[in-house]
Amino acid sequence: MSTTGSSKQRSLIIILIILGCLLVTFFGLRAFHAFKKFNGHRPPPPASAEIETDVELIRDWMTIPFIARTYWVPEKEIFDALGISPKDNREKSLKEINEEYFPKQDGLAIELVKTAVLAHQPPLTVVPPQTAVPPLTPVPPASP
Amino acid sequence: MSDFLLTQVINYGAPLLGIIVFIGGLGIPLPCTVLVIAAGAFARQGILSWQTTALISIVSVVIGDSISYSFGYFSREKVLRRFSGSPRWAQAEESFQKWGPLSIFFSRFLVTAIALPVNLLSGTTAYPFRKFIIYDLLGEIVWIFGYGGLGYLFGSQWELVSDFLSNFGGVVLGVLIIIVSFKQAWNWQLKKQQPSM
Repeated sequence: MSTTGSSKQRSLIIILIILGCLLVTFFGLRAFHAFKKFNGHRPPPPASAEIETDVELIRDWMTIPFIARTYWVPEKEIFDALGISPKDNREKSLKEINEEYFPKQDGLAIELVKTAVLAHQPPLTVVPPQTAVPPLTPVPPASP
Repeated sequence: MSDFLLTQVINYGAPLLGIIVFIGGLGIPLPCTVLVIAAGAFARQGILSWQTTALISIVSVVIGDSISYSFGYFSREKVLRRFSGSPRWAQAEESFQKWGPLSIFFSRFLVTAIALPVNLLSGTTAYPFRKFIIYDLLGEIVWIFGYGGLGYLFGSQWELVSDFLSNFGGVVLGVLIIIVSFKQAWNWQLKKQQPSM
């Protein structure tokens, strides 16, 4: 093999190794961060699978019928909250709805939908404590 | 792109997902893995039927892969005219016969970035089509049921799974490039040390 050929081959191998290292570092860091987030979450139990309650999971690619189904909120309530008609809007994403109806207010559609979903959710019920709480005893007045 | 396709999958369901993974099988870069994980979550929410979605997706992606195999197969003449007889081509063919099954299987779900080159190389090196289809089908089943299953398991938290798996694929690709480069460097050193005839 000629000297030029071997130096070309050596350069190619070095470039490939550097590329591989860059890929591993870049995607490794991203995967590590994703894993840290992912690690804190466990799969939801099957019983709660049908109804989602966390409105922070609403994204702007979602359509209103999809949100209505996921959060068990009547479609009409969400359309009313946005002040738009279901006609011609059922297949539009929240992003498209925002661009069409609220062009000057970025992210308004998603905020209105979150509010409508939260308003429809039943209030949180307070769970009574398991252990009995002792009755309050009157504190004797401090002696002078 | 992902957001637009997710909206359309919600609207048009499994047939659209089938079309997307078919196009992905042809080698057009689309965020197919993200959509498969999301489809699993949509199946859990009752938006899609998991049986129909899995069946349509597997059939579509295997047809797409077979077409890209045929691109390689029918361009074989042209490639051979250029490289036939060269020791490197013979080495490539030999390596593919040896590593073909593993590369076909793992490139379906783990290192999807190399799926198209693997399909084309399978065709160009005349890797037996029957074997190609078997490993392709097995890999795609793991992709659809494994990744879609994770989406199903995590439901509305599927984005976390998708984030991790997409980046993990990049790490595997980087490791593969490093291994192949070191192997190539090793072979090159051995060749240099051999006394010339």
